[in-house]
Amino acid sequence: MSDTGGLSLQGLTKVFFPRTVNEVIAVNHIDLRVEPGDFITVIGSNGSGKSTLLNSIAGNFPVTSGSIFLDGRDITTLPEHVRARSIGRVFQDPRAGTAPSMSIQENMAMAYMRGHRRGLRAGVPARLKREMAQQLAALGMGLETRLTAHVNKLSGGQRQAMSLFMATVSGPRLLLLDEHTAALDPKVAAIIMALTGKIVQERGLTTLMVTHNMELALQWGGRLIMMHSGKIILDVAGAQKESLTVADLIDKFHQCSGERLTSDKLLLE
Amino acid sequence: METVITSALGQGLLYCFMILGVFMTFRVLDFPDLTVDGSLPLGAAVTAVAITNGYSPWLATIAGVVAGILAGLITGSLHLLLKSGDTSSTNYGPKLLAGILVMTALYTLNLRIMGRSNIPLLGKTTVFDEMGHWFSVNVTGWWLVLTLAVLMVILKYALDWFLHTEIGLAMQATGDNEQMLRSLGVNTNIVRVMGLGIANGFVALSGSLVAQYQGFADVGMGIGTIVAGLAGVIIGEVLFGTRSISWVLFSVVGGSIVYRLLIAVSLRIGIAPTDLKLLTAALVVVALSIPTVRRKVIRI
Ligand SMILES: Nc1ncnc2c1ncn2[C@@H]1O[C@H](COP(=O)(O)OP(=O)(O)OP(=O)(O)O)[C@@H](O)[C@H]1O
Ligand SMILES: [Mg+2]
Repeated sequence: MSDTGGLSLQGLTKVFFPRTVNEVIAVNHIDLRVEPGDFITVIGSNGSGKSTLLNSIAGNFPVTSGSIFLDGRDITTLPEHVRARSIGRVFQDPRAGTAPSMSIQENMAMAYMRGHRRGLRAGVPARLKREMAQQLAALGMGLETRLTAHVNKLSGGQRQAMSLFMATVSGPRLLLLDEHTAALDPKVAAIIMALTGKIVQERGLTTLMVTHNMELALQWGGRLIMMHSGKIILDVAGAQKESLTVADLIDKFHQCSGERLTSDKLLLE
Repeated sequence: METVITSALGQGLLYCFMILGVFMTFRVLDFPDLTVDGSLPLGAAVTAVAITNGYSPWLATIAGVVAGILAGLITGSLHLLLKSGDTSSTNYGPKLLAGILVMTALYTLNLRIMGRSNIPLLGKTTVFDEMGHWFSVNVTGWWLVLTLAVLMVILKYALDWFLHTEIGLAMQATGDNEQMLRSLGVNTNIVRVMGLGIANGFVALSGSLVAQYQGFADVGMGIGTIVAGLAGVIIGEVLFGTRSISWVLFSVVGGSIVYRLLIAVSLRIGIAPTDLKLLTAALVVVALSIPTVRRKVIRI
């Protein structure tokens, strides 16, 4: 049914409050093929369905119709925690990715356990402490010296660096980033973005990154998609993406939303 | 004065397992579990019936604890049914309702188990008699305090150890950031159900020990357990601090003792025993309305 490897979406649709006055078609028959190792940036206006797309893939809620294949396996109906064994996520809110009243090393240890059965062994084994200290040092955030500090004592940037690390440390098959630098101040956002690029490249992670920052979307990744009203209205890769500018994107966007406006008008008349 | 102190210490230690259970639900799992009003007398009822039927008091106590664990597992499963797919962890409605339903059902069940509303254990051999027999002492007064203190230390460290195992960390994280834990591939539903089982096992242990100590099990002995438990947790956290899980487990045991001391003093100065529940509720309200307390007691 699906091609081997990577992520495939086939006719993916998510309708909130179906058959009510509040009905929202957040994701509308999306077909998307993501090759293993692809780094795709996703842009689109508010409410265009970017987060819903990511949430559908991760399994936050059942989708209305369509299918999702990851590594050739149909995951459409798997519960969220089962998919999470092979999907890493980082959210916009730096608080979302870590347990605030637990220590750095406890948070980290839980991330190392992704995909493993949990038992009555020590939650934070000694050998892991050495390993995580080394790996945290590579983040350059000074976290390695504060392993027993509670995460709620950290800055937003430090927490987001940890979230990123925790999402990727066990080598997920897919990484979903939803505006993960949007809540940070520009300097910290740049650090986290650089870190993201480094981790994604080093590990060759298949990645979808939602962002509102068109420059970021152009600068990072090898492919860019633009969403509007639950649909993909632009999908460019390779040299074509390289040559794209922010002005082009804005043009494209106005073109599409303009078209939509006229078609709405037609409907009214 | 000495008897007031030993009796408050004894009561505080008898009920400290219940407080640890309430701490597990309220703090660790972020699940205000009202089952405890039913699982405390459940532990007492099962133990009393087992003892009067000639079983060893040790076995009777274990049976009481197991019954409490089952009650917790049922509350946890019922919660899954009631929330049906809702993944928000701050939706307390289904949590409260699940507890209320099981608590109410347990009232009937406890009566059924006991066959009447009160079972005396006078003249029956209890775990305290057995232990007294080993050391040829009467397990009352300071001996009771010592015995319970040893048991408390053992179980406190056991719980502390458990909460730092792989599963234990997952339990802490379920109450702290459930969405995160789910996106790390953990079935938080199962973890929560397990945690509720353990917590209610602790609560039932208090029920079982109280019945054996006071010499009877009574179907009404669980009324107000949740509020007393909360009072103990809050008093402990505020007086002794919350710097780490290991520490706070001792804090709430301290809270349990201080709470019983307050009750002993209230009775001494002539407050009617029937007024104590109102006073306890008022104590919790007052404690929670002090902003500094509210800040410390984060999750309410
Ligand atoms: N859980 C939900 N329940 C109901 N409606 C929702 C839910 N999540 C999203 N929606 C609706 O679906 C549509 C798409 O929302 P979504 O959050 O996916 O957009 P987005 O592209 O991520 O927007 P933003 O850039 O603002 O984050 C919106 O109309 C939104 O109101
Ligand atoms: Mg969004």
